[in-house]
Amino acid sequence: MAAEIKTTQVVTKADYKSDQVVKWCAGCGDFAILSAVQSALAESQVRKEDVVFVSGIGCSSRFPYYINTYGFHGLHGRGAAIASGVKIANPKLDVWHITGDGDSMAIGGNHFIHLVRRNIDMNVILFNNKIYGLTKGQYSPTTPRGSITKTSPDGTIENPFKPGELVMGAQGTFFARVVDTEPKRMKEVFLEASKHRGTSVVEVLQNCVIFNNRIHNEITGKDVRDDHQIHLEHGKPMIFGKEKNKGLVLRASRLEVVIIGKNGITEKDILVHDVNNPDDTTHYMLVRMTLPEYPVATGVIRFCDCTGTYDAELELQIEKAKAKPEVKSLQELIEQNSFLVE
Amino acid sequence: MGELKLMKGNEAIAEAAIRAGVDAYFGYPITPQSEVIEYLMVEKPYETTGMVVLQAESEIAAINMVYGAAASGKKAMTSSSSPGISLKQEGISYMAGAELPCLIANVVRGGPGLGTIQPSQADYFQATKGGGHGDYHMIVLAPASVQEMADFVSKGFDLAFKYRTPVMILSDGLIGQMMEKVILSEHTPRWTDEEIIKLSPWATTGKPASRERNIITSLDLDPYRQEEHNIHLQKKYKEIREKEVEYEEIMCEDAEYLFVAYGSSSRIAQKAIKLGREKGIKAGLLRPITLYPFPSEAIRRLSQQVKGILSLEMSAGQMIEDIRLSVDCEMKVEHFGRMGGVIHSPAEALQALEEKIIGG
Repeated sequence: MAAEIKTTQVVTKADYKSDQVVKWCAGCGDFAILSAVQSALAESQVRKEDVVFVSGIGCSSRFPYYINTYGFHGLHGRGAAIASGVKIANPKLDVWHITGDGDSMAIGGNHFIHLVRRNIDMNVILFNNKIYGLTKGQYSPTTPRGSITKTSPDGTIENPFKPGELVMGAQGTFFARVVDTEPKRMKEVFLEASKHRGTSVVEVLQNCVIFNNRIHNEITGKDVRDDHQIHLEHGKPMIFGKEKNKGLVLRASRLEVVIIGKNGITEKDILVHDVNNPDDTTHYMLVRMTLPEYPVATGVIRFCDCTGTYDAELELQIEKAKAKPEVKSLQELIEQNSFLVE
Repeated sequence: MGELKLMKGNEAIAEAAIRAGVDAYFGYPITPQSEVIEYLMVEKPYETTGMVVLQAESEIAAINMVYGAAASGKKAMTSSSSPGISLKQEGISYMAGAELPCLIANVVRGGPGLGTIQPSQADYFQATKGGGHGDYHMIVLAPASVQEMADFVSKGFDLAFKYRTPVMILSDGLIGQMMEKVILSEHTPRWTDEEIIKLSPWATTGKPASRERNIITSLDLDPYRQEEHNIHLQKKYKEIREKEVEYEEIMCEDAEYLFVAYGSSSRIAQKAIKLGREKGIKAGLLRPITLYPFPSEAIRRLSQQVKGILSLEMSAGQMIEDIRLSVDCEMKVEHFGRMGGVIHSPAEALQALEEKIIGG
């Protein structure tokens, strides 16, 4: 349990800057994510002394060095398990798990889905640059099929994961997607993630300037982003496009892009985003949307408090057990022999 | 005469694998050995020899892919560096138990834990004493040059199939990354299905009516049968210890002091010996080429001749335990070595010999 410490001063973004030299490459998308997280934390006014950042291995996993909180640079792929341990042992801590597409989708895939399934209350930021950056340019489990990398000179022949699909498949209660070129939206989404009780996964489409430069340009490029991205907001119709005239409708149980004002379509026909819907069917369809047929969904796609969190329910069980103890002491327990199996 | 090339140690392993007629390589990137898989992917042996190259989702997946391929009598291999080799230990133990041949290359970096990406020899215990669970050993080959990185691939497979056991090439980030000239052997064609059936009658190649089913397993819940299996394994390791020891003696004829060093450290020791001889110190080197089996007999013999032994390893001193056992602790044996990715210099090695052995 975190001790009862009172924060003595208002925490600002500057307080979250560490004294470490940042070793990411010049121009790396990670800088913007770090800055947005620092802003979000300052705004959320969580107690700085309660915050822990846990990472695995990879470029993104250097994050804990660069933020002035408690930090844990873990093992490759195991960050989710380490963060689970941190949270379960100290449920009052504000735990953030930093990972990448190599770390959490390859060797850490197993731990990742089990973290989401357990719905442990923590925030996961998944830096998706679709390449192994730290080992200098081999394909990852999110690398688009056909990509030429150092280990796929003829193009990859593997189907890439969409992290959101795994989150939905593991009955995730929060999933958001942001791009590293929009710091304000990133900050807002991180704040939403920190408000959500349960495992909140935020996928950041992040640019690796050295080994996979411009990989997300079809989504983030200034000239195309309005038509290739749909920024979802709760309670608002799913409208996008430079002219704000495109929208999503549900037809024959699948999403379809329509033009408002064409074929009798009006704004009323457009789907309204219900981020809290316990039924994740639409969320799943939104997560899967891929260019060129669809725009890529960004913003908070799912935010549901429909199931309890593992850490809270575990605490409840402990409290219950404490409230009605059948055994008062170890001596009594031994005398009762109740622990022995017949 | 083979082809002469200038190559990195990691590239030499990869090229030698293609030339040795290896059927499958399964890997995962990790510094300082990612060049092995990168070289293989660029060379595309699947287009020439038919050798499969696959980037797995983890080191654990890679070793288990090796397990699967090896069970059918194919020449399968993987490579990694220290943290990745730790992940493979479960699979290696199962393969030792199931008596499957395979080759694993460890391009060692400093540890423990994530450690560093610089060279180290601190995985000696893990490689030679088992590494995974249970009573088993791998045959461990220690290359000291890029040439040996290449040569030990086919040598490793020969031993792996001779004894049906996993074999490890234990190198380090220095040999993996440095470039030297290397003479590459001629291409050996991959075994045909017929050759595999003939050479490896234990393999799961499809059951004909003429024989019983081949079962590949490390499991036997009957303790007496499991003990029998362990006795059989121990007999095999004894035979390996009797027949497969390899080492090199350098300037030992007149040596009064002895370095024992393998891999990178043996190269440093040779320079230290040269520096020492310029000062009138007669030192020699025993270089174990096989770390398991360990050249105990040779060390025992040389201990009759020299006044003291210095174990030179880039570690806190691991091989020194085997040296002391070799001489029954009847002679002065000391250790010197830098750790955590630091490479000792020849001058430091000589100074250690002077202080710990000659003056000590």
